[in-house]
Amino acid sequence: MLGIMLRKLISKKWMFICLLLGCVLLIATAVSFPFYRNAAFNKMLQDEFTAELVETGHWPARFRVAVSSEKNSGDAVLHKMEELMNSRASVLGVEPKENVFFYRLNAFQMTSLMDREDLKAGLKLSPAFMSDLPEHVELLGGEMYSETGLSGDGAVEVVIHQDCMTANRLLLGETLQFNTLQDKNGRNIKIRIVGVIDDVVGDYYWEIGSGELSKAVLMNEKLFREYFIGRSDTSFSITCCYSYLFDYEKLESKDADMLRAAVDEDPEAYKGGYFRGVLERFISKRERVSVTLFILQVPVLVLLAAFLFMISGQMYELERNEISVIKSRGSSGGQIFRLYIYQSIFLTVAGVLLGLPLGGYFSKILGSASNFLEFGLTRQLEPLLTEEVCFYLAAAAAATVLIMALPAIRHSRVSIVHLKQSRAAKKRTWWEKVFLDFICLAVALYGYYSYLRNEEQLLKDMLLGKSLDPLLYLCSSLFIVGMGLLYLRLQPLFVKLVYLIGKRFWRPASYASFMESLKNGRKQHFIMLFLILTISLGIFHATVARTILQNAHDNTEYLDGADIILKETWRDNRYAAAEDNEKARYFEPDAGKYSSADFIESYTKVIAAGPCYTTNTARAVIDAGGKQSLNLLGIHTKEFGEKTWVDSELLEKPYYAYLNELAEVSDGVLLSRNCQTHLGIEPGSMVTISYQNNLDVTYSFKRKVVDIVDYWPGYSPVTTRFTESGEDIISEQNYLAVVNIGSLQRVFENMEPYEVWISVKDGTEADEVGHWINDNNIKVARYTNMSEDLQADLENPLLQGTNGVLTMGFLVMILLCGVGYLIYWIMSIRSREMMFGVLRAFGMHKRELFHMLMLEQIFSGVLTVFAGIGIGRLVSGMYVPMLQTAYAVADQVLPMRLSSDPSDLMRLYGALAAMMALCLIILVILVVKLNVTKALKLGEE
Amino acid sequence: MNEKPDVAEVKNVIEAKNVNRIFSVAGKDFQALKDIQLTIPQGTLAILKGRSGSGKTTLLNILGALDKPTSGQVFIDGKDVCRMSAYKREKLRRRQMGFVFQAVSLIPTMNAFQNVEFSMRMAGVRGKRSERVEECLKMVGLGSRMKHMPAEMSGGEQQRVAIARALAHRPRIIFADEPTAELDSAMGAEVVRLFKEMCEKEQVTIVMTTHDVGLMSAGDEIIELENGQMAGGI
Repeated sequence: MLGIMLRKLISKKWMFICLLLGCVLLIATAVSFPFYRNAAFNKMLQDEFTAELVETGHWPARFRVAVSSEKNSGDAVLHKMEELMNSRASVLGVEPKENVFFYRLNAFQMTSLMDREDLKAGLKLSPAFMSDLPEHVELLGGEMYSETGLSGDGAVEVVIHQDCMTANRLLLGETLQFNTLQDKNGRNIKIRIVGVIDDVVGDYYWEIGSGELSKAVLMNEKLFREYFIGRSDTSFSITCCYSYLFDYEKLESKDADMLRAAVDEDPEAYKGGYFRGVLERFISKRERVSVTLFILQVPVLVLLAAFLFMISGQMYELERNEISVIKSRGSSGGQIFRLYIYQSIFLTVAGVLLGLPLGGYFSKILGSASNFLEFGLTRQLEPLLTEEVCFYLAAAAAATVLIMALPAIRHSRVSIVHLKQSRAAKKRTWWEKVFLDFICLAVALYGYYSYLRNEEQLLKDMLLGKSLDPLLYLCSSLFIVGMGLLYLRLQPLFVKLVYLIGKRFWRPASYASFMESLKNGRKQHFIMLFLILTISLGIFHATVARTILQNAHDNTEYLDGADIILKETWRDNRYAAAEDNEKARYFEPDAGKYSSADFIESYTKVIAAGPCYTTNTARAVIDAGGKQSLNLLGIHTKEFGEKTWVDSELLEKPYYAYLNELAEVSDGVLLSRNCQTHLGIEPGSMVTISYQNNLDVTYSFKRKVVDIVDYWPGYSPVTTRFTESGEDIISEQNYLAVVNIGSLQRVFENMEPYEVWISVKDGTEADEVGHWINDNNIKVARYTNMSEDLQADLENPLLQGTNGVLTMGFLVMILLCGVGYLIYWIMSIRSREMMFGVLRAFGMHKRELFHMLMLEQIFSGVLTVFAGIGIGRLVSGMYVPMLQTAYAVADQVLPMRLSSDPSDLMRLYGALAAMMALCLIILVILVVKLNVTKALKLGEE
Repeated sequence: MNEKPDVAEVKNVIEAKNVNRIFSVAGKDFQALKDIQLTIPQGTLAILKGRSGSGKTTLLNILGALDKPTSGQVFIDGKDVCRMSAYKREKLRRRQMGFVFQAVSLIPTMNAFQNVEFSMRMAGVRGKRSERVEECLKMVGLGSRMKHMPAEMSGGEQQRVAIARALAHRPRIIFADEPTAELDSAMGAEVVRLFKEMCEKEQVTIVMTTHDVGLMSAGDEIIELENGQMAGGI
């Protein structure tokens, strides 16, 4: 059996190479997904934690729990907690970064042993200890407590935080005594302040909180335990703060579920976990990314399966005669079936061996996709062989065996008698009878319709973190399949029409090819459908990728407004002014640094103030306490126009026309559309704008409305945010008023803090800006950097993954398209070689034969390619907006626009053209090499 | 309409002189035909007989201008086929010759009628073809099965369609390679009777190969081949 198989392998090597290619690609594509996902999710989890860290300034991967023992009731509760906390690392399976205990007694009255009049009478302090304190402090004065913790005279050596020192006006070296707190021997405890400490900025040890240290005198842990723990006479209560920090950079995606499960299982023990929100967000995001990427991957996998099915089907077609002859000679169906099963397993094993490493490589490519068909990201995603990967591998392998063996089940039952009968069959295919094309189209159109109807709700669901309904996405694929089948139904009619139109003029060769296309076209159904699917999905995917990326890009560009926006924190004199009963004012930092910075091309000052209140003369509309706020933007029109840009398609007039209008009216104002609607005013009327700055200085001024704008750089008319419960989202209107900065400065008595909108020189690195900010000691109140934000978009796992999957899918499809068509075409010619021999014997010229095959190729190939292109464009126009909702972000401002890069399509068409050209070349070779007598001999066997 | 061939003058339609055909098989030369000399007059039914491998089909292919001899000459109507251009040979095959092959050779996508008509298209016959097609199909006894596809017919029926097809464009010569191989003996005899009739009625020259001894008697000329050489005959 093995021998037969190997002989088959060698004799049909091209077929086998194609089958192997299909196997390898299918397996590699299937495993690349979990490979990529694991790596990307690990990174995403870390990004989520880092974002939280940046946002809050606190180490997010932490617990902080406090327990107190009651007075006179022993401290068993503390023991229990200590045990629990010490076991936490092993329970969670995450190594601690910091594991801090902070014990303190309730405060006790104490007296200084130095005769000090300035010391407050009611001085109360708590003895306390923090684990591993000496390693995490900056010693401001004195020294740490000693090893024993006791000084020679029996006083307890303590260190105090500098806050404690200033709050209680203590002195270094001072000795104090508790009035009532006694040690085990009944003596009042004496302490000596040997050192003053400060917490180290950036040391997450201090997540424990230094605020409580203003009343604590910190002593040696051993001594503390000896003095206060396990005592029977507890006239004090002990509060234990426990802070557990773990290293989130070592967390993996799968740990997230485990951590959350642990927290959910025993909420009491894990209360004070600060990361549950982070985990929640991550898990919901992961779900969404996972579902979206999977949905995008499915069509590629289905096409690969179809490719395998097609090629193996084609191979059986070639071997049909042999099989039926073997069968007629008494070979059992089982034997033949087994032969094919062995063959499938052999190919699958080879596929697994080659496909697994290739899948790992694919995942790396996926992860480096920086744009559609571009691979510019240099980040390391390590493909790891996890259980999930093994599962996908096994599933893909099982699928390949099955797909390749499937046609064999049918064929192994065929004997030569059946074969001849089946060749006679020419009835309609099953899908034509059940109107599968119309069913697919109906379902797809229903999905499209219901999307149009529920667009807003869908968008809302996405923002709430739900995943895209796979069925909705399926609609686009169903639409393609439906259109493809419809084409298959209509194509013969079209060919017939052409045939009938020119019936009288067709030369024998054309006549024969018409006959072939009309009568035998059904044989080509699969390849034609395959061609349509690959081409239209290719176009669809290219459009999806480009649209999603382009929209994210445009949106970020719009919302950021300028290359860099920087706002410094200004000094003010609010306290001094209050004492002197003067109006407070701000002090402008030196602006000279902006002129001297290397990377700055030019900059402009923009006063962005809010919230403000506007009124028209009739009614006060935007109230102070309301949620709606008016943002005031004071700009220098010319300079602002040079730094910013809004696509004129979004506005009624060109962007610069608005700037010019404003420039002409010095006390003019541009209002946002929603503000105008809200106030019910028209251009030309006056509005009053009131503004109170952070120093409680109020300004009020009148402005004339010169025009209304729908979009403005950085302006988002609506903010969507979650409700308190987090179960719904609400939209809030933002109003905008743009005025001339000069007129504003005349209103303001003093300089108001302004933003600096910068356009940078080409090739400026984000690092360079960061260093410049540090070097100039700029205290940043607001900073956006467009190039960083655009980069962040590209690295967003949802966008990046989508991009990667679509790019990979597109490349695989181009490959399949080419190879599939070529193979199918060659095989279909080969199987008719005898026929060509007969035609040649009848005196048909080679050129005529070539002409005939060309015509056939036009009917089955070229026509189909055009149909695929048409369907691809149609489906893109209809369903890309639907898919786009899966990428909805809360700050999406710009309307979604379909976008495609002609070069993508050129690549696809180029591949198709190359394939067709190759087909032609092969055709010529086959026809030229065709040996009449040999071809005729074929028939005799 | 085609002119009827001249009945009065009997001449040699096919003439082969010193025909040799050598095949290269795995680097070795194999002589399939050796010094074949023959003449076949118009209107005769010539039967090439011989065992498998005796060179029957090779000779038939050479006489039918499908293959070229390694040396020697073949004259059809007095013209040296071997010196003709490929195009002229194709034209010759299209217009003057009809072929019936051992294997089923109908075009599977055309029905019986279309198959027969197709050879007329190939031969460039214009005008009303359908009458002639019907006539030919009736002649082979398939007048009632004209709309049937090849796959819907038995091997014998298909072979008869092939004969009708070889006949339809009124060729001067029909080459038939084992036309009776797939048929039972009664059907085989019927085909040969048909050939005989055609030779007489339409003055067609027919060269057929067979190894069925029972059919030999019908032949006007029997040419026997043995290991690529003429054994006796004429």
